[in-house]
Formats: sequence, structure tokens, C-alpha cells
Amino acid sequence: MLRKKQVLCGILAVIMGVSMTGCGSSGEKSETEKKADEVKASGGEEMIVLRILENDTAKSEGYLDELLEAFNKEYEGQIQAVDANMEEYSNLAENGPYGYGPDVIYQANDKLMTYAEDKHILALNKEDYDCREYIPQEAWDAFTMTIDGTQYLCGIPVNVQEPMLFYRKDLLPENWEQEWDQDGNQVPDFLENWNDLYAYSKSIVEESGNSKWGLVAPCNDLYMSAGFLFSYGAYVFGEDTKDIGLAAGDAATGMMALRQFAGIMNEECIDDSIKQSRYSKVADGTYFCSISTPDTYVLFHDRLAKIYEEEGISQAEADQKAAENIGMVELPRLLPAKGDLSVPSADMEEKEWVSNVVMGGVNGYGISAYTKHREACVTFVNFATGYDLVKKRAEILGIAPTRSDVASDIGGVSGMIFESLNEGHIYLMPSVKAVDQIWDPMQTLLSDVAKDAFRERNGETVKYPDQDAMQAALEKVSKNIYDAIYTLAQ
Amino acid sequence: MKKRKLPFWCSCVVMGSGQLMYRQWIKGLLYLGCLALYLYYLFTSGITDIIGFFTLGTVEGDPWLGIQGDDSILMLLRGIMALLVTAGAVGLHILNIRDVAAMEDALAREKTLPGFREIMRRFVDRKFYVVALFLPIVGVLIFNVLPILFMTLIAFTNYGGDIVPPKLVDWIGFDNFRRIFQLSEVKSTFLRILGWNLLWAFTATFLSYFGGLLLALLLNKKCVRGKAFWRAFPIIAYAVPGFITLLGFKFMFSYGGPINHYITAAGGNAIGFLDIDAGWKARLIGLLVNTWISVPTSMLLATGMLSNMRADLYEAASLDGAGRWKQFTKLTLPFVIFSTTPTLITSFVGNFNNFGVFYFLRGGLYLDGYFLASDTDLLINWLYNLSIDNNYYGIGAAVSLIIFVITSIFSLYAYVNSSAFKKEDTYR
Amino acid sequence: MKTKKRRWTPRWKNVPEVAGTYVILIAVCFIFFFPVLWLVLASFSSSGAIYDFDGFFPAGYSLLTYQKLFTDTQMYDYPSWLRNTLFVSVFSCALSTLLVILTAYTMSRFRFRMRKPLMKTTLILSMFPSFMGMTAVYLIMINFNLINNLWSLILVYSAGAPMGYLVQKGYFDTISNTIYEAARIDGASNPQVFTRITLPISKPILVYTALTSFAWPWSDFILPNMLLKNRDLWTVAVGLTHLGETEFSRFAAGAIFIAVPIVILYFSLSRFLITGVSEGAVKE
Repeated sequence: MLRKKQVLCGILAVIMGVSMTGCGSSGEKSETEKKADEVKASGGEEMIVLRILENDTAKSEGYLDELLEAFNKEYEGQIQAVDANMEEYSNLAENGPYGYGPDVIYQANDKLMTYAEDKHILALNKEDYDCREYIPQEAWDAFTMTIDGTQYLCGIPVNVQEPMLFYRKDLLPENWEQEWDQDGNQVPDFLENWNDLYAYSKSIVEESGNSKWGLVAPCNDLYMSAGFLFSYGAYVFGEDTKDIGLAAGDAATGMMALRQFAGIMNEECIDDSIKQSRYSKVADGTYFCSISTPDTYVLFHDRLAKIYEEEGISQAEADQKAAENIGMVELPRLLPAKGDLSVPSADMEEKEWVSNVVMGGVNGYGISAYTKHREACVTFVNFATGYDLVKKRAEILGIAPTRSDVASDIGGVSGMIFESLNEGHIYLMPSVKAVDQIWDPMQTLLSDVAKDAFRERNGETVKYPDQDAMQAALEKVSKNIYDAIYTLAQ
Repeated sequence: MKKRKLPFWCSCVVMGSGQLMYRQWIKGLLYLGCLALYLYYLFTSGITDIIGFFTLGTVEGDPWLGIQGDDSILMLLRGIMALLVTAGAVGLHILNIRDVAAMEDALAREKTLPGFREIMRRFVDRKFYVVALFLPIVGVLIFNVLPILFMTLIAFTNYGGDIVPPKLVDWIGFDNFRRIFQLSEVKSTFLRILGWNLLWAFTATFLSYFGGLLLALLLNKKCVRGKAFWRAFPIIAYAVPGFITLLGFKFMFSYGGPINHYITAAGGNAIGFLDIDAGWKARLIGLLVNTWISVPTSMLLATGMLSNMRADLYEAASLDGAGRWKQFTKLTLPFVIFSTTPTLITSFVGNFNNFGVFYFLRGGLYLDGYFLASDTDLLINWLYNLSIDNNYYGIGAAVSLIIFVITSIFSLYAYVNSSAFKKEDTYR
Repeated sequence: MKTKKRRWTPRWKNVPEVAGTYVILIAVCFIFFFPVLWLVLASFSSSGAIYDFDGFFPAGYSLLTYQKLFTDTQMYDYPSWLRNTLFVSVFSCALSTLLVILTAYTMSRFRFRMRKPLMKTTLILSMFPSFMGMTAVYLIMINFNLINNLWSLILVYSAGAPMGYLVQKGYFDTISNTIYEAARIDGASNPQVFTRITLPISKPILVYTALTSFAWPWSDFILPNMLLKNRDLWTVAVGLTHLGETEFSRFAAGAIFIAVPIVILYFSLSRFLITGVSEGAVKE
């Protein structure tokens, strides 16, 4: 009896010992704080330490390290920038006031502007930043807010995001130049208009006997599917947030088109499955293409390279082959004005098309209002938005910069996205807090619309047989959003 | 009322002074020290905190201009703390008065008072329950009662929506409750969810409780060899954290998951187990998954309980010629139910407030006929949608207060009428 | 260590029953084991993503994920998370078990004026949806400057633990008073009764309590997510919820790995779980 007790105590003691030492070394003090301490100890006079919160991809791909290194070298002995070592979306409103937030924060415009509304991030002076001449007005607008008639700039734009089409170049039909390039511009038609994409997807599904698909996209994700709303005249918030705008114009027409396309997708488009499976399924050829954001290029690429590697070629070769075969382009530009995707594109006239307007976002830097070193933060942001670092960022992360000089120097897709922003093909979400309240209701509706296509296919009762039903649904969602924003508020 | 001596009146004014006059140095100094600490606290921050509790701040902060304003929410919390500390000080003062009175009475009977050590020793032995419960109660007061008080009070403020720090929050009385009852959607959603929530709590508790009990009995059978081995399987399941299991099951039942993979491979149509039309399908899956997660715990518990059951009871019964079923219904079941009724209630409460299952399996859906909720959401999920997703803390707190009142009346009634509460000594 | 062992001896008329029992057992164990097995297989998947699977089974197997889990710590510092969780678990397990057993024993054994009101109050308090109080807990921790400190978690977990004393009280309610009274007559004081009599006879429930309170920090992520801001201070549960969406293998491997200490703890304690009270009492 006694022995057992001793053994048990022994085990417990060992466990405790292990965990104690574990915490002694790294538990009690975080890396950042330790670094800060070191700086104080070695620097003699006190050096400014800035905590920088970048996004996860920048960190995992190594961009953040390069940025910090470059900055710390430039300002050696004066300012030191360190990784804030926090979660990418950690809430500044919750942490900042109590001193636990970062000094500089990199985030999408909607998130950043939510903070700005409550003044958690500082209003900035455009003149302090050298990048000001190179960035188009649209990008600045995303970070501008108006209080009592005065405009305040609260973030410095760095890159633009929009949903992109990822496809397999090696899976293009062999005779695409004859069959699928009627305008002869060396770009397959199904990358240019949605009717051909529909026709091509349909042919893949039919030829493979329901084992391969053309486009399978996350229909339930507003960010990815918003083109079917905005291109047809819908918008998010008009004059003020009382005008929801999601049922405006011919939004119902667009939604019917989405429903039609979902009909030749796979059920994965209804729930979140596709968001995780797209990388694997495009890589193994089950899907010809899918929709995602440009920063996920790496994921598509790596997955495909892995498959090539397993086939027995070297890593370098596999990497290169994957890079050659993964295509990333903007979504097809043309949508049918009447919403019928099944009309052959040859029968469509110029005026029967509408141009695709997708939802996009601008990511940029903001400065926490709770920082103790405002000047140093401005210095850092100015440095990080300079030509060299934005270019490096674009090269490492494949993002589309808002700086026109970088965009034109890199060209390619980055250049294209920049142009789209300039030409108004990217709809930027308004920078108000109320935007938070549209995501969940819209996701439910979109999922329902996609599901409706499968209800029809399986012979169940459909919910949206015609445009009127769709319009009613859109109006109902708008009302729900309105209620969520206003009915409960003071 | 007896006539009291001077030390008594002294203690009434200054805590501990009477004790000192009776030469109870350590006790007196301890009381005095507590008083000093309290006064120090009161004058350094206590008074401002209490005032802050009523005003909830007067200076609005502006981070842009570097104006450090009042943080209403923190002030509310500190106010509650100050009031609790004051209540504690008053309680201590009453104790001190009683102590002096008891000393006087003791002196009237005996010539001398016992020393401090002797007093403490006696106290620890005779009032063991006070000593034993002191730490638990303080802990619960700080980390359970305080947050509940805080949230209750939040229900009477306009916190939420646009009014979040640095903006100042204000007391608004019963406005939140009025708004809830004025909105027809809120009311109907509330009733619909409540119905499902009760059904869920009953079935889920029933399934996990009897599932665990039966499993424990099965493993307790004499013919089962290697009990530890068999018991390990549910334990392994238990060892995987709940949210991971839930995410795993969500994937398993999703359109791209393995179950649909086999269905489509066999030529069927993919089934939306958890999608928008799922309704009862999703509810059933939720129930089964929840059973999977909770059976191991209740099995562990039932095993512990069964081991405590006296074997002689069984022996006597089998001598009487009672069959196995009779043994189960007449001996095992009453015993186990008796010793686990409280658990049954806790597990009912736990299931009633089971946030995880549907948050992970089917979160983020707002269905027709529900205001910011779906047909599988429980009240707690709805609360989450209201207060966290949509930032209506005040409204959320008000709703939770209503739910809280309903559920606590209900479970209190069940508890007070249970045999475990009424006849605690049955098996003694 | 104890009385005569009653061995079960096979008799032919029992065969169908025994067979039935084993069939049910195997079925039940399969139900419990299969999802876990699936997680284990996923953690050994060579591709890392779950959509390369053929139904439940990965296309290829490798140990790469585990290697990555412990070496690739730049983004996801799993070893630190594991250490942090172990630290929190061990201390909050020890503290909560002590507090819970103390509370339950006291509430079961002693009769005092405030007892029933206290029991009713705790029941009502436990009805409160816990996340509604999270804001307050966060503010309390800010007030006491305990953000980014693992002790804050230990504090909250062990302080809240006595609320769940009902289970343990149910156990103590089945123990005969005569044991205690005999000790009291022998001149033992109440603290002595607790340490010398109560603790030894409450082994099964001690194990149950220890196991559940040890396992709790492994699966809770709401609280640590709120109180621990720095990535290297996270607990495993928080870390896993922040893994990238294509990292399923790593997620599975991380999940399996945190199950291991709990299973080990179970195996090392399991024999106490079934030691009966009456035996313990006879021993003393």
C-alpha cells in the first residue's frame, strides 16, 4: 500500500518537475519580452521596441523575418521591430487599451476600419509616407472614414485581394485553340466568360460520367460568390447602413445564374468542404479549376508539386513543373445579363453581357492608438511600404501590390489585379462596423441557393424556382440584416 | 439583552480593540490588521470604485488625442469588487462583535481565556467545515459569483452595439428587457429554441447517463476478462479533446467527407447530413455525437460508484433467489440513481448549456423563422450569436438572465425534490 | 492485496451469454475506437491534407507529420504548447482535486446551518452559461495583471472546480458514518479524520476527479485563448484551433499526442478506480 503511494508521488513529482523546468525556460516570459529585455540590457540608453503584427502567411513564408531584419539594420541602435507573436486576428479593441496589443498591425481594410471607428488605430497623415504618389485613390478610399464631415486616413494600403480562378494548364483540352478560342486571342474562352466556363464544365462532367468536374467553387462564401450580386447592380450599404443594398438591381438574376452553375458542380460547393479540398482536388485533376484568394497560390502549387514528387521526379523539377501547370487568373470578365449561362457564347451579343465586379479587399498597415512610440511606428510603416519591401513582399507572397511602380515592374497577375482595382472591377467593402453583420445571413442564403440546384437534381421540392422567389429571399435577408443592425441597437 | 462591558462596545467601534483589552493579543491584532487593510483599500481606491459603480465613468476617452478616459466596464467590475470587499469587512466586523461577546460570556463562567493556539486548534476541529470551505468559497466568489453579478448588471446597461469602450456605458434600467419583449421575432425564436433545448437536454442526458451505466455494468460482469483493456477504449475516446472530436465528426459528415465518399462511390447521391435542410438529421447526429463524447465520463463515474456498492447486498439477493433483472432494478439501479442524482442534474444542466456540439457541427447558419439562429441551435448558441457575433452584450445578458431564471427554478425544483437531496442518509 | 478472489469458472449454459457480452463489447469498443483510429491514421498521412484520402484511409503513410510537429516550430510551437498545457494541467489537477474532495466531503459529512442554502446556491450558479462571464474573468485578470500568465488559468480552473462537487458528494453519501464515528471516538480530530480516513477510502472518486480535472485544460480553449496572447504561451488546444486549414495531419497528430498523457494517467490510476470503499475501510 505504502509503496504504491510512493510510486504515485514519484510519478507526480517527476511530471511537476518536468513542467516546472519547462515553464522556467520559456513559459513565464514570452520570447518577445525576453528580446525586449535583452535590448534594454545591451543598448545602454533605452531603445524603442515596436511590436509588429503581420499575417500568418507573411510569417510562415519568411517575409516577416526579412522585413524585420531589413528594418532593424537600417535603424540599428534607435528602433527595434519585433514580431508581436500574437494571433493574426487578435482583437485590438480587447487588448490594446490594456497594453497587450501590437504597435503596428497589418490587416484587411474592413477589419482595420472597424478598429478605426472606435479610434483604436490612429488617424495618419498621408504626407508622412513616400508611397503616397504611387497608390491609386481607390486603395486610399478603403482606409478613409468620415467623422463629422472630416475625412481621416487610418491605414496605409499595401496589397489588393480579389478571388482568383486557379486552373490546371496541363488539363486544358488539346484542341482548345480550335474549339474554345473563337476570338483567337490565345486565351481559352472559358477563362473569359462564364457561359463558356459553364459549357466547358458541363462537357467535363458529362464526358467523365460524373467523376470529374470543371469549376467547383465555394458557393456559400460571399467573398467568392459576390460577383453574382455586384455585377447585377447589388451593393453593400448605400447612402448609409439603413440601405442594405443586397437585393438591389437585378441581384436575383445573378443569384439564379449562381444556382444554375451550382447545378453542374459537386455537392462540396454547398458546405465548407470545398474550401479545404480545392487544393487537393485541383492537384489530382478531379476538378479542372476552383476559386480562391491569391495568397493561397502556394497551397495549390505545393499540393501539385507533392503529387509530381510522388510520381518520382526530383523536388526541384516537381516545383518547376507545378509552377508551369498551375494557372492563376482573374475570374472570367463577362457574365450574361439575362442570367442564363446555358446560352452558347456565340449567340450572345455584345450588349447581352455584363462585366464581372468581384468583391475585394485591400490589406494595409495601421498604427495602434495605444502605442507609446507613434513617431517610430510611422517610421516603420513608411519603411515597410517602400518600393523594395513591397516588391519583396510581392515576390515572396505572390500578392498584388497597390503601389503602381511595383505592380508595373512585376507585371503578370499582380499587374492585372492592380489594373482591375483601377478600372473598378473590384468592389471594396465599405469600411464600417455593420459589415460584420452581413456575412452569416448571406452565407446561409448562398448555401441555400447552391443546395437548391441539388434539390432540383434529386427531385426534391425546390425553394427558388424563379426570379420572384429569389428576389423575395434576397429581400428577406436584407431585412434580417437590417434587424440585426438596428432593431436591437439603441 | 445583557448588559455588556466596555471592551464589547470598543469592539463595536474599532474591530479588535475589545480583544486586545481582554489580552487576546494575536486575535486582536489580526482583527485590527484587517481593519487597517480595509481602510487603506477604501481610501486608496475603494471609494472611487464605489462611486464609479454608480456613474460608470464621466470622462470619455479619446485614444487619438491620448486622452485616457474612463473605462466603464472595468469600473463596473471594480465597483462590484469594492462592494464585495465592503460586504466582507462588515461580515468580519459582526464576527468580531460576536467574538467579544462570547469572550465575555466565557469569562463569566471561567476565570481565564484559552490561548490563541488552543482557540485555533479547537476552531479547526469543531468548525472544520468552515476551514474546509473557506478557500473553495472564496474562489467561487471571485471567479463565479463575481462574473455572474457582473453579467447580471450588464443586462441593465446599454453596453454593446456601438456603445463599447472608449465610449461610456450607462445604466438604462429595464430597457433591454422591454426591447426583447417588444420584438415578436425574438419572442418566437426564444420559444422555439427553448422547446428544442429542453428536448435536447432530456434526451442527451438520458442517453449519456444510461449509456454510461450500461457500459459500466457490462464491463463489471464477472465473465469479462481484461476489464482494464476493454475500459481503455472509451477512455481513449475520452482523452481526445471534445472540440477535436467534434471537428472530426463534422468533417466525417460533410459533403466532402468519407461517409459521402462511400455513398457516392456506391452510386448514391451525397447526403447533406448537416447542411441547411438537415433539420432533424442534424439534431440526431448531434445527439449521437454528444453521446459518444459523454458516455466515457459517465461510464467512469458509474464504475466508481458500482465499486462502492456492497457485495453483500448482491449475495443476500442471490441467496433469496432474485433473478438478474430483479437484482438490477431492485438493487443496482436505486443505488446508482441515488448516488448519481446530483450528477444527473449537473449533466442535465451541462447538456442544457452545451455550447460546443452545434457550434462546431453546424455553426454560422441563420435560418428562416429564427432570429439570428438555426433550428439546431440551443439557447446558449443563440446567446453567443447575439452577444459575441453581433456584439449585443446588453441584450445578450438580458436574454441569458431570463434563461438563467427559468432554468435555475426548474433545476432547483428537481434537485430539492430528489431523493439525493431529501434523504441523504439512505445508504449510511 | 485483498480478500479471496472469486474466479469466474466457465459453465456451458453461460456460453451464449458470454458470447453475446463479448459481441456487444467488441461493437462498443469499435464505435469508440474507430473515430480515434481514423485520427491516428490521418496523422500518419504522407500528404498532410485530408482530401487525398480514399474514404477513411490516407493514400500513403509517413512519419513526417510527427517530425514536423516537433521540429517545425517557427509558426506552430507545439513543444512549448505541450509544456504549457502540462504545467497548467498538473497544478490545476492537484489544486482542484484537493478543493473538490474537501468541499464534497464537508458537504456530505457535516450538518451546519448554511449547508442546504449553499447547496442550492451552487446548483443555481452552475446554471449560468459560462461564456457570458468570460468578459468579467478577462477584466479580473487584467485588473490583477495576470494576462499572459499561465497561473491565471490554474487559478480559474481550480477556483471553479468546487462547483462540480455534487458528483463527489454523491459518492461520500454512500459511505457509512460509522467509519468516521469510530475514528472520532478514538480521539481523532476532524482534520485527522479527513487525511487519515477520508482520503484513503475515496480513491475511486479521487481518481475520477483527478482524471477529469487533469483532462479539462487539455480540451478547453475559450479561456486560454482569451488570457494568453503570446503564441508561445498558448496551450495545445488553442494552438490546434489556429492551425492552417490544410494542416489536417498536423491537427490530428497534435490531437493524438495530447491524448497520450491522459491515457497513461488512466492506466496508472485505473486500479484505484475499482478498489471498493469497504475494502479500504477494512484495511485501515
